[in-house]
Amino acid sequence: MAKEKLLEVKDLKTYFFTEDGVVKAVDGVDFEVYKGETLGLVGESGCGKSVTAFSIMRLLDYPGKTVGGKVIFKGEDLLKKSEEEMRKIRGKEIAMIFQEPMTALNPVFTIGYQISEALKIHLHMNDKEAMEKSVELLKKVGIPIPEQRVHEYPHQLSGGMRQRAMIAMAMSCNPTLLIADEPTTALDVTIQAQILELMKSLLQEFNASLIMITHDLGVIAEIADRVAVMYAGKVVEYTDIRTIFHNPLHPYTFGLLTSIPRLDVELRRLNAIPGFVPDPLHFPKGCKFNPRCRFATDRCREEEPPLVKVEEGHLVRCWHVDRVKEEVKKGLLVGV
Amino acid sequence: MAKPLLQVRHLVKYFPIKKGVFRRTVGWVKAVDDVSFDVYEGETLGLVGESGCGKTTTALTILRLEEPTKGQVIFDGKDITKLKRRDMRKMRKGMQIIFQDPYSSLDPRMKVKDIIAEGMLSHNMLNGHERYKRVGELLERVGIPPKYMDRFPHEFSGGQRQRVGIARALALEPKIIMCDEAVSALDVSIRSQIINLLKDLQNEFKLTYLFIAHDLSVIKYISDRVAVMYLGKIVEIADKKSLFDEPLHPYTQALISAVPVPNPDYKKKRIVLQGDVPSPADPPKGCRFHPRCFKAMDICSNVEPKLVEVKPGHFVACHLYDSKE
Repeated sequence: MAKEKLLEVKDLKTYFFTEDGVVKAVDGVDFEVYKGETLGLVGESGCGKSVTAFSIMRLLDYPGKTVGGKVIFKGEDLLKKSEEEMRKIRGKEIAMIFQEPMTALNPVFTIGYQISEALKIHLHMNDKEAMEKSVELLKKVGIPIPEQRVHEYPHQLSGGMRQRAMIAMAMSCNPTLLIADEPTTALDVTIQAQILELMKSLLQEFNASLIMITHDLGVIAEIADRVAVMYAGKVVEYTDIRTIFHNPLHPYTFGLLTSIPRLDVELRRLNAIPGFVPDPLHFPKGCKFNPRCRFATDRCREEEPPLVKVEEGHLVRCWHVDRVKEEVKKGLLVGV
Repeated sequence: MAKPLLQVRHLVKYFPIKKGVFRRTVGWVKAVDDVSFDVYEGETLGLVGESGCGKTTTALTILRLEEPTKGQVIFDGKDITKLKRRDMRKMRKGMQIIFQDPYSSLDPRMKVKDIIAEGMLSHNMLNGHERYKRVGELLERVGIPPKYMDRFPHEFSGGQRQRVGIARALALEPKIIMCDEAVSALDVSIRSQIINLLKDLQNEFKLTYLFIAHDLSVIKYISDRVAVMYLGKIVEIADKKSLFDEPLHPYTQALISAVPVPNPDYKKKRIVLQGDVPSPADPPKGCRFHPRCFKAMDICSNVEPKLVEVKPGHFVACHLYDSKE
């Protein structure tokens, strides 16, 4: 089955020009999103996953600037669009869901007003139609008594309800691509389960694609079809969901998977990754993971490895894929 | 079996809700409502629940950083709820706490060595020179080079700050440490370092932990026994294995099934609960979980279930298991 490419990010570079120097938050990121699929973007704080999303949406503020690369959406480069053209795409073609719905929603307008806004602008509905559609959307995302809730303000809703309202807003104009930035991180686990179920069913219904940004490998396993693992502004491993969990080939991915406590496997000791996430102002020379990597050699300290294809549909940025492969075979890992 | 180091008996903590010009009390937030459990010497008791369930208030009330409304806390054989403030301060030498946020729990204007030495100073442990020598040893033990002791908290990363918080707790040679979401704010790769450190320290110093977290995977990894809280009440306590293998309370079952597992081939039946956690200011009558419960019966909305032992060491508060009494 030939998959249709919806979004292609090519060598994306977004830098922040701060007083202390240039922070290369996103430094040459490549990935694709196909129609109807979910791509997981995984990494720890500061790895550039959120900045990637904001660059795609062209929502960066000073001192951040996208300095290179292409973001090809439905065949056109979004980075070349005028602000006005971009405004027609945002919310209509590509919609975003944020981590903290309390700050992402405007506290002085009702939920209904905020959902209606996009409907009126993009779909040219009148007030009455937009309000009716808002009620329908709230109902679809599982908010009880939507006729009443539509007139309420964000603070009157619980965290889970607010996230549902955000999703209703994002889905209002039937976008083809949804970008969700840690949408369940601030929620309790039982509420997270509700939201994930909701997102899955909506994606199917609308046949939309999703970029799911998260640090939680459990959430990724649940929702993603393919995964890009990011570290220090770069994609270090890029493959399908089963390969990433059963056959990871980058030492960082490998380290992450063996370091997390999990419910399905009894672990005697966590295989912690030593050191700490590097400061983006002072990235190490060579491979950015080398100071924390147990496979590192002199070459890693000097020369940054490229992201190369090691198997069909499996790209890894590492000089020592063969050694990692041996280690993974020993079965220190996953599934057990 | 080991003897209980900490016994919590019918602990209650209500916070008043005040309104109007005269700040009259118009209601009570029932944060902790009749909670009882034991923590045995050398074990880790995990306390798990969702936000607002009262797990942090439980820890603060045990330490009397919040005064309990009712109930008893027996630490090392002594009822500490009756102690005078000054005696309580002495008692706290044996019971320390590590907080969630490594950014706000360290005074930004104090050097790390003074943060760690402060407790020793107020308990008159060691003299000045020896104190700092001990600070160096403690830093070394938690994995920070002692030469950094003159630095300020902002010069450290989140993970390192949490190590400082651990060193501060260790400085007083406590018997029990309450870890209140101690690893929740950390990045995945740093979190496992801290969890390993806490485990090592426990073995080395024979520490007892009351480990509070909302993350069930972490709780499962670190605990010997686990208590599940919902809206100010303990709904289930058991040893780790029976709690995770055979959870009895419908809430525990739902909670465990809701945790995303990092394995795409792991298939399980998920119980998706309806609705949100109700407000602790106005908890539902009867069993507090009944409006969200998928096994609710008539009795659940009227009669509050008691925490009873249904199997050796396995306690549950649910009417489904009443007949076994």
